[in-house]
Amino acid sequence: MQQTSISTKTNHALVALILGIFPGGGQYYNKQILKGLIFSVFLISFFSASKDLITHGLWGLITLGEKPRVDNSIFLLAEGIITVLLVLFALLIWYIAIVDGYKNGKRRDEGKEVNSVRKQYKNLLDSGFPYLMITPGFIILVFVVVFPIIFGFSIAFTNYNLYNAPPAKLVDWVGFKTFVNIFSLKLWRNTFLDVLQWTVVWTVIATTLQCTVGVLLAILVNQKDLKFKPIIRTIFILPWAVPGFVTILVFAGMFNDSFGVINNSILPFFGIEPKAWLTDPFWTKTALIMMQTWLGFPFVFAMTTGVLQAIPDDLYEAATMDGAGSYTKLKTITLPLVLYSIAPIIITQYTFNFNNFNIIYLFNNGGPAVPGSNAGGTDILVSWIYKLTMSSSQYAIASAITILLSIFVVGIALWQFRKSSSFKNDEMA
Amino acid sequence: MNKLSKIALACTLTLSASSVFAQEVLNVWEDIQKSKGIAQAIADFEKEFDVKVNVLESPYAGQIEKLRLDGPAGIGPDVLIMPSDQLGAAVVQGLISPVTMTDEQKAQYTQSSIQAFTADGELYGYPKVVETLVMFYNKDKIAQPFETLDQYKQYSKSQKEGNFGLIAKFDQVYYAFGAMNAYGGYIFGQDDKGNYNVEDIGLSNAGSVEAVTYLKTFFDEGLIPSGIYGDNGLNAIDSLFTEQKAAAVINGPWALEPYQRAGVNFGVAPLPKMPNGKAMTSLLGVKGYVISSWSKNPELANKFVQYINQAKYAKIRFETTKEIPPVVEVINDPIIKDNEFASAIATQSQVAVPMPSIPEMSEVWNPINSALQLGLSGKQDVKGALNDATNQINSQIEAFRSGL
Amino acid sequence: MSLDKKRSIKQQRAIRLTLSYLVIGLVSLIIIYPLVWTVGASLNPGNSLLSSSIIPKNMSFEHYQDLFNGKVDYLNWYYNSMKISFSTMVLTLIFVSFTAYSFSRFRFVGRNNGLMLFLLLQMIPQFSALIAIFVLSQMLGLVNSHLALILIYVGGMIPMNTYLMKGFIDAIPRDLDESARMDGAGHFRIFIEIILPLSKPIIAVIALFSFTGPLGDFILSTTILRTPDQFTLPIGLYNLVAQKMGASYTTYAAGAVLIAVPVALLYLWLQKFFVSGLTAGGTKG
Repeated sequence: MQQTSISTKTNHALVALILGIFPGGGQYYNKQILKGLIFSVFLISFFSASKDLITHGLWGLITLGEKPRVDNSIFLLAEGIITVLLVLFALLIWYIAIVDGYKNGKRRDEGKEVNSVRKQYKNLLDSGFPYLMITPGFIILVFVVVFPIIFGFSIAFTNYNLYNAPPAKLVDWVGFKTFVNIFSLKLWRNTFLDVLQWTVVWTVIATTLQCTVGVLLAILVNQKDLKFKPIIRTIFILPWAVPGFVTILVFAGMFNDSFGVINNSILPFFGIEPKAWLTDPFWTKTALIMMQTWLGFPFVFAMTTGVLQAIPDDLYEAATMDGAGSYTKLKTITLPLVLYSIAPIIITQYTFNFNNFNIIYLFNNGGPAVPGSNAGGTDILVSWIYKLTMSSSQYAIASAITILLSIFVVGIALWQFRKSSSFKNDEMA
Repeated sequence: MNKLSKIALACTLTLSASSVFAQEVLNVWEDIQKSKGIAQAIADFEKEFDVKVNVLESPYAGQIEKLRLDGPAGIGPDVLIMPSDQLGAAVVQGLISPVTMTDEQKAQYTQSSIQAFTADGELYGYPKVVETLVMFYNKDKIAQPFETLDQYKQYSKSQKEGNFGLIAKFDQVYYAFGAMNAYGGYIFGQDDKGNYNVEDIGLSNAGSVEAVTYLKTFFDEGLIPSGIYGDNGLNAIDSLFTEQKAAAVINGPWALEPYQRAGVNFGVAPLPKMPNGKAMTSLLGVKGYVISSWSKNPELANKFVQYINQAKYAKIRFETTKEIPPVVEVINDPIIKDNEFASAIATQSQVAVPMPSIPEMSEVWNPINSALQLGLSGKQDVKGALNDATNQINSQIEAFRSGL
Repeated sequence: MSLDKKRSIKQQRAIRLTLSYLVIGLVSLIIIYPLVWTVGASLNPGNSLLSSSIIPKNMSFEHYQDLFNGKVDYLNWYYNSMKISFSTMVLTLIFVSFTAYSFSRFRFVGRNNGLMLFLLLQMIPQFSALIAIFVLSQMLGLVNSHLALILIYVGGMIPMNTYLMKGFIDAIPRDLDESARMDGAGHFRIFIEIILPLSKPIIAVIALFSFTGPLGDFILSTTILRTPDQFTLPIGLYNLVAQKMGASYTTYAAGAVLIAVPVALLYLWLQKFFVSGLTAGGTKG
């Protein structure tokens, strides 16, 4: 298969490009028979084997079914989306085949040698290595994360709810009607804005608090002359080690307005009036933030401890030589190093809390009730979406709100990304 | 010839074998911890009709939701259990199929329970259990149940620190409805034929406001602790009663077994009278067996449910699970007549109002429960809170009917 | 140095240490109190969590007995949960270390877009698309199977943990790779023999995340697992208290205590890895 081409004026690239319209054609033209065969066999068998599947899938995606009780719109929608994903994947391979043919044609035009099978294999191993490593994870990601998100988003543009649900009824595409409704009906608009506001407040306060507590305690425990470190660290890790859904329910009992230990024993012990932990939105929010601090600080604590132990002693010794006090050392050495190293972890904590469904749902199910709202007083966006889906079957609205939520988070993430220099640093190579 | 006959013999053998092994299968979803009540009936049915019945337990309130996904996936049941208030929603979505019953068969069941499973003039289920609220009182504290709610209130006032008289989860419409109804409140108005008018909501009329205002005094005076608000409130009530810190609670038949297990010496009575002299009513809940739209063998499923609902099996069911079947013959049986608990439920059932089973019912719960909590806790005035709830229910019903 | 100054330094030290111990003591108390309370609840007779005493008056092991005498299917849930958590952990580690290594060490077409995609995906809650997840597993014939659930968990774990691990590998000096390459090692060998051993701390962290993640989820798992014999601990236990009628918080507490134990042990076992040094991550300023 080794082929030398010395001709000076050739159009191999263009010919390969055109022939590439037949899967593998470009490769045959470049006399890379094996590679061409792989492309041909894969693509031709894909399209011929799934011809019916593709037409059925696209039909389902566009019409969402035509006969109630026979066609199930929701399943058709899912099949349609998967069809589109598969077709896109095949088209990508096809595109790669064409580009590959073109590139090798160009090499021939330039009088270079087309790679031998062995060399191709080596090349594939080298430049293809990262793709090879990423592919399995990526495939899983596409199916269990990307596909559900696309599916969920599509629902927002349909009229899927209790009254338009299969099998009795078909679901139809309705465009942006649901979004218009959310913003034009006062109840929905107000609820959405209230919930969004609390979601942001919750995320910022709870996360900041848990990170601060975690970092400070880690520094405290890391003092050289402190004893019993292993025991202390073990205790401090416990809230993380016990599954959250267990402790949250226990807390819900402890915070009970009338019978909980907090109102009955702990607060009176300090001479504080009992608080309406579960019936006053303000105190429920306070309780939630305190609980999240309890639940969330150990992780930050553990990470910070790791970082602290890695800071070389000579840094501190040098600082002491320069006459720096312990406060200065903390400010100029410890904190910057720690914060730099755990920054990515802190960011994940913010996203985690933004979507922290369990604590809101298990503690008080988003309650207590507040007037003029169809969400509870402590519902965050995810828990509200869950309620809309599960207890009211308002799928379209729930999904529209998911889209709004995603736009919000993604917007912030992108903005933060542009700003942060650490990402630019990363571009070195 | 010899060879041929051998083949023929082999064929007949396989055929007969396959007819033995191709036994029909029915999948049944029963309520959690209740399948022991139908075990005997199932065993007899299997024997008599040569059918294999698989029973799976799952919480009754979630079965329809599960069916929505499992049905089309082909892993759904043939027969499942459902509370009648979900009937409307299930029918609108086409999740269950109608059942056929002769008038004679219908007459086996109490009329209200048959009505509970009727939607648009079609019958969709076989009633299995009736449930309604009753008064549980601690006999060591109250020798005889009081006649009126006011008497309970007086009694509550006499209780010392940490002990309570009557406690009930009035912040949920399921528990407060009886009081509201006694004053003329209702959920949906009805015409002569019993059809619901969803535009006529009676949860904020003068009667409802008066009733809730009265209930509020229990909270204002600290007779019912605010700790019963919210999702864990029922648990709080249960524990107060089982720890003998509450003398009486309003609760449903499901509380019977845990209370017995906790060793409380208690009695059961119908609900007391309101200050206006009318007895508290309650919502009548009926759970019944329904048949999935995806059932491959609806006839057999029908036959099965009819079979296990025969009076003799309903009686066994009552004995094992203490669930009261709305089967006339069993209700008149001494086994229920002479049972204090069962007869209290039966008496209360006579004044109880069937829960509306139209799909719009699912828009009612959340707004009205929020309003009750806001009103009773004084976060909002009672009238305003109930009005808000009614408006919200109205607008939600309207929005979703218009196909939002 | 004068004697006075020495003494004052000594005094300062004593004050600092005392204060530190005080704070630590207080925090420990706040941490331990609810946990002890959970244990107390599990030993209380009756059904309620609202029992007034941390040390029950008439201690009873009935709830622990209930877990094992067939009243609830606890052992089966436990087995299912351990199986799912362990598989999720192993698969997550494999996929995440692959992707993280690639993103960290290679510059390839689509890398930046891929990174961005990963960043964004971790922000959209996976369970906002429950119906889609169910429909998908149905199409693949995986409804009610643990495999589907494991794959879903693994998929959910990939974006965030890839990010964490990529950050960590970025900080491992490239000189190490280079010298190995001089010795003729291939990409995969460098990955296995150099990168992975140096990444132990972050691997420990990700292992913990992916092991404990499934133990805290009862939303995705209820969607996929349809029959009681497939249930995991969170579903089973949550069902114990989610029934509005006759919920048993105390049996729940007993079940919860028995989950907390192995997870806590796992933590203790892994803790030495990441406390002993996030070397690479820590010092490279």
